[in-house]
Amino acid sequence: MIQMSHVYKTYPSQISALYDMTLEISPGEFVFIAGPNGSGKTTLLQILFGAEKPSSGEVIVNGMNITEKGFNKIYALRRTMGIVFQDFKLLRDRTVSENIFFALEVTGCSRKEAKNKVSEILSRVGLQEREKDSVFTLSAGEQQRVAIARALINDPPLLLADEPTGDLDAQMAIDVMGIFTHLHLKGTTVVFATHDIDLIQRYSYRVISISGGKRVDSQKDEEVKTGE
Amino acid sequence: MIFFLQYVMRKAFQNIRGNLFANLTTIGIIAISILIFSAFTLISFNLASFLKIWEDKIGVIAYLKKGTSLKEMEGLLKNTRQIEGVEGVKYISPFDAVAFLESKLGNQKNLLQGIQPGILPPSFEIQLKKDYRNSTKIKEVVSRLKQFPQFEEIQYGQEWVETFSALVHIVRLTQWILGCLFLVAIIFITSNILQLTISSRQEEIEIMHLVGSRPAFIRVPFYMEGLIQGLLGGGLAIFFLYLLYKGFFLYIPPSIQVWLVRVPILFLPHWTILGILIGGMFLGFFGSFVASMRFLSE
Repeated sequence: MIQMSHVYKTYPSQISALYDMTLEISPGEFVFIAGPNGSGKTTLLQILFGAEKPSSGEVIVNGMNITEKGFNKIYALRRTMGIVFQDFKLLRDRTVSENIFFALEVTGCSRKEAKNKVSEILSRVGLQEREKDSVFTLSAGEQQRVAIARALINDPPLLLADEPTGDLDAQMAIDVMGIFTHLHLKGTTVVFATHDIDLIQRYSYRVISISGGKRVDSQKDEEVKTGE
Repeated sequence: MIFFLQYVMRKAFQNIRGNLFANLTTIGIIAISILIFSAFTLISFNLASFLKIWEDKIGVIAYLKKGTSLKEMEGLLKNTRQIEGVEGVKYISPFDAVAFLESKLGNQKNLLQGIQPGILPPSFEIQLKKDYRNSTKIKEVVSRLKQFPQFEEIQYGQEWVETFSALVHIVRLTQWILGCLFLVAIIFITSNILQLTISSRQEEIEIMHLVGSRPAFIRVPFYMEGLIQGLLGGGLAIFFLYLLYKGFFLYIPPSIQVWLVRVPILFLPHWTILGILIGGMFLGFFGSFVASMRFLSE
């Protein structure tokens, strides 16, 4: 599903965000990317969804080599994944259903098909009762659920989440984690970046730890695959 | 494809409604710029058509030297008819000349009493072929006529033709210089206002990128917005130009109106109007293209 080998990312200001990053995530896995603020988690995810290009190294996501020279189908890559952010990135002047409808419409879904799909997607995150409500009237946890619903519009096999519980209180974080867990059980690969050690410890998923742009966890990908 | 076009139109009009003031400003500026350009086009078009009418009536009068024998005149008449560009030659005797003067003077023809016809020189009235009725070609015919020593003087209203041609050229030059300046201004203004529109919708655009919207789904509605602005701006310019054109006739004195029957002032032909509208659309499109190049790439 994801292969990253010897990836370096250095910004023009000579700040090194990733250093010799190598990792492999198999289909259906739930993986935490753990590390303190500024450790390179966001850069790693940005490379995975094509918002940043690595300075060197090779990255293959959902069968697409995004580091290949001339690769320009970022939109095609993003249709194979859902992305969730800490700040939700919702259109605050619109309702819950309009936010989902907008994402469906701009990806080429017909209005009729999009209208049918909105209710179905919202029911998957338990928000069907609030579809007519404005986004700004929702709690932070509910807003994050709208963002997750939007990430699911293309039925992606991969879900990338960048600190999705960062702005939520403990109970809301558990609720949102519940949605991610359900999606994982249904077969979606989840890559979840967080600095919340307590949250990570509640679940028995694989953890890739990074610090200062380097991978610092002891468990290598090969060991995970063979179950050693 | 139909779905995409529907989407593009819907989004473009949503964008315009969402930023109504900025869009109306752009349309207004485009309209004013195209109006000024179109006004010069209209003036230039009418001067050119006036020149054409005048050129159609253009002819050459070649006055013969006194004492030219009839035999020489016959030969000269034959040679003049053979010059390239000459359609016909009419001999005007001194008697014909006096009769012509009398007809022109009307009630005041008694002014000619006592004048002997012999005082007026005989002449050839030379009609030119259609292609030769312009300031460049007429000179070729005149230079051939000047080679005949029997001609005393050749008149063809040279100064008029040349002055008027120069005037038409100046107006056309002004029209195109202004056109180029307005072209740059329109592209600059449209692209800057569209940049404001784009930055006010940055959140939406970011989400479009994130959910995997194709580049065409993001960019084309903005191009369409530019096209619509250009079309509306061009349409408004033509509308106001037509009002000005009609208003012009209301405020001109009747004495000039009588003269205008002979030299009609025309409105722009349909093809020119279509060209202006397409030009406006192109400018709007290009402005939005420039804006999108700078602001829509991820």
